[in-house]
Amino acid sequence: MADILAQLEPIFRDVLDDPKLHLTRESNAQNVDGWDSLAHINLVSAAEQEFGVRFALGELEELKNVGEMVDLIERKLARA
Amino acid sequence: MNAYRWTDLREGMSHTFEVELTAQMMSAFEALSGDVNPLHADNEFARKAGFPGVVAFGLLTSSFYSQLAGVYLPGRFCLLQGIDVDFVNPAFVGDKLSVTGTIAYLNEAFHRAEIKATIHNGAGQLISKAKIRAGVHERE
Repeated sequence: MADILAQLEPIFRDVLDDPKLHLTRESNAQNVDGWDSLAHINLVSAAEQEFGVRFALGELEELKNVGEMVDLIERKLARA
Repeated sequence: MNAYRWTDLREGMSHTFEVELTAQMMSAFEALSGDVNPLHADNEFARKAGFPGVVAFGLLTSSFYSQLAGVYLPGRFCLLQGIDVDFVNPAFVGDKLSVTGTIAYLNEAFHRAEIKATIHNGAGQLISKAKIRAGVHERE
């Protein structure tokens, strides 16, 4: 799980144009600068391509923070 | 104009069109953008800078990426969300440009296509390359 979080961090840094961003399981659109609706689409698209998974819109709408995204990716990778 | 719906699109779909860069386009873009840099208008200035003539505006040639997405791929139902573009080589008036885009990735959740695109001149030289992010809306 830590590996997935570590892999997500450079993606978030690149998409949000913040090379010093420190990503935690508690990170979300409210506490990370620049995480707006368009950035959200960019983040999801980049994560799908990085991990080779696909998210349904319903799955994404349920996510409350990065930690839940990590868990979702982990479940998808386990099923692959 | 193409009118692909989201369900029509597949990764690997491609489109190419050709366009000739004209002096009229250059003057129209200068008026539109307000970019009066002499590199784009003064042949002598451009030659002193090491070019054979005035250099086409990078954003003028890149505007053909807008045509690619908005008219052809996906076409009518496109909503352009972003473009990353690199200007690799200069283009000049009279160049016959070939604009090509290929769908590299489709995001099902947000109905967004990522299109890898290039512009080449008539000699086959790469002028620019781009990653286009285009949403596909459902309403007429």
